[in-house]
Amino acid sequence: MPPSLAVDLAPGHKTGLALRNPVMTASGTFSWGFEFAKQFDINALGAVVSKGVTIAPRAGNQQPRVAETPAGMLNSIGLQNVGLDEVITELAPKWAKWDVPVIVNVAGDTIDEFGEMAAALDGLPGIAALELNISCPNVDIGGIEIGQDPEASARATRAAVRNTDLPVIVKLTPNVTDPVKLALAVEAEGAAAICAINTVLGLAIDTKRRRPVLPRARGGLSGPAIKPVALRIVYDVAKAVRVPVIGCGGIRTGEDAIEFLMAGASAVQVGTATFADPRAPLDVLDGIEAWCAREGVEDLREIIGCALPAPV
Amino acid sequence: MNVSTATLLSTEPAWDGAFVSWFHAPELARGVEPGQFVMVHCSVEGLDPMFARAFSYYRVDGDRFAILYQVVGRGTRWLSEQPTGAVVRMYGPLGKGFRLPDDPGNLLLIGGGVGIAPLVDTAERAVAAGHHVVAMMGARSESHLLSAAAWPKEVEYVVVTEDGSAGAKGYVTQHLGKYQEWASKIYACGPNPMFQALADTLRFNGRRQRPEILMEENMPCGWGMCYGCAIFTKHGVRLCCKDGPRFNLFDVY
Ligand SMILES: Cc1cc2nc3c(=O)[nH]c(=O)nc-3n(C[C@H](O)[C@H](O)[C@H](O)COP(=O)(O)OP(=O)(O)OC[C@H]3O[C@@H](n4cnc5c(N)ncnc54)[C@H](O)[C@@H]3O)c2cc1C
Ligand SMILES: Cc1cc2nc3c(=O)[nH]c(=O)nc-3n(C[C@H](O)[C@H](O)[C@H](O)COP(=O)(O)O)c2cc1C
Ligand code: FES
Repeated sequence: MPPSLAVDLAPGHKTGLALRNPVMTASGTFSWGFEFAKQFDINALGAVVSKGVTIAPRAGNQQPRVAETPAGMLNSIGLQNVGLDEVITELAPKWAKWDVPVIVNVAGDTIDEFGEMAAALDGLPGIAALELNISCPNVDIGGIEIGQDPEASARATRAAVRNTDLPVIVKLTPNVTDPVKLALAVEAEGAAAICAINTVLGLAIDTKRRRPVLPRARGGLSGPAIKPVALRIVYDVAKAVRVPVIGCGGIRTGEDAIEFLMAGASAVQVGTATFADPRAPLDVLDGIEAWCAREGVEDLREIIGCALPAPV
Repeated sequence: MNVSTATLLSTEPAWDGAFVSWFHAPELARGVEPGQFVMVHCSVEGLDPMFARAFSYYRVDGDRFAILYQVVGRGTRWLSEQPTGAVVRMYGPLGKGFRLPDDPGNLLLIGGGVGIAPLVDTAERAVAAGHHVVAMMGARSESHLLSAAAWPKEVEYVVVTEDGSAGAKGYVTQHLGKYQEWASKIYACGPNPMFQALADTLRFNGRRQRPEILMEENMPCGWGMCYGCAIFTKHGVRLCCKDGPRFNLFDVY
């Protein structure tokens, strides 16, 4: 018997968010999914998360947009995307033909925009849930400013939840002293699940030019380098909230994913690893299955949160 | 695209600081268009450097293919030091390559530095399809030139060096001369300043040749996932790896 890998990321919600397995893609590291679908079986994945969408199309930031770092990268892409209208008219109908649930990552400039976008995406075939990106470090307005403030994060969550029947996942920034405060604030406003983490603020210097490599100086660090930070935050958040937690940050093997599940994540997102190895999400899934078989785990839910301290 | 491993068959110097490496990998050598590229991992465990490096296909021969590369940093150095028989992780072929005209014509290929890499295969195919080919190669000096023997014998090979140690002195774009009028189609690969100079030279009399260029940008993924390789064209932002690396010169410059 192969192990049961199914998880539900929105058990209390009216539509739920049932995944065949816990391996998702991370927003902004998978484009809109079509490149992958051309090469591999996209329906093998647990869920797909789209690039961050803004109301108007965006061209993104100037070059250089990325700087490679040991076991990771700094990015400053700047939310290049086709805009909400094209997602609704062109992309969602294509997603509707897939079996795999597609989650749209939405990035509002203001609290109201989160409500506006949630309303526009509500009830569209091809969209299974929303993920609020209140944590992008690479834009001038919105993004991380909202995500670093529990009060603003709560209001953005409320705006979205009130305007859609879809489950709303809220994605947290690690760039705060206490991510648990953010998690509790968005849970209280109806977040169906919490995703942790977005990129870690970082910097690289070009010693020849004696200037930061990236034009906006700071960038978002991702990849295996941030895995311990992500694990710590998932562990702390999972201890504090009742809703499911999605782990993200530096995952590239099945063993990495198992660590996140043990720290309390119900699912994982694979991001930067996919850049280096196109098969990464599939390899993570195979790795989880192999680990379960080896360890005699019949249902993945047996190990979710098993590394957390016993409740008092 | 195929994700695979390739076995290193040989590495020979091409010029000062540049090498040609031949690999055996049937899935990576199949269906390659001239100007397409392959992403090569230049570390064993894939953590540092984490991302694969992009290289144009230099030559393709059955189950084997070669890349021609200049050692500029850690990845290319690592590659140049691998022993024969080494197994290297890669994925490809990727990107959009050159489109050769249907009717036989006069093709001018212009290469700057290691930008010569994709042009030899292009020349071979063009000759086989009945085109006349002139290849102009710009290099720093005589010791940075690809041997004339690397080209098909039907190709007229014109050399320009910055210091005049071989061929005409200066930049290729200063020596287009009669070839500019002769050419019915132009293909180029090299550094961005070369494209700029080419555009400035051809803007008033050469637009009819609709030059195609192969561009470079930092490519973490090479397959349209990261949006790191943006090229800002006159028609909006494009991804070098997926929408390119072939662009129309005058769409960018
Ligand atoms: C589509 C495409 C095809 C290419 N084909 C060839 C080829 O056929 N032969 C060849 O020698 N090189 C080619 N390149 C460039 C090659 O990818 C870089 O030289 C290589 O990535 C450098 O890796 P490294 O680890 O040695 O250098 P690093 O240590 O990463 O960097 C060394 C220096 O090179 C610069 N650099 C790094 N990556 C790139 C890049 N992608 N483009 C421009 N500069 C870069 C860095 O800014 C730095 O100054 C191609 C690039 C692209 C995008
Ligand atoms: C190039 C790039 C673009 C990203 N774009 C987005 C985005 O649009 N929305 C978002 O919520 N997160 C975005 N992220 C963050 C990732 O989804 C993920 O949270 C982060 O990279 C950590 O995971 P990883 O180490 O597996 O990549 C982006 C990350 C990268 C590297
Ligand atoms: S290199 Fe990643 S999108 Fe082009």
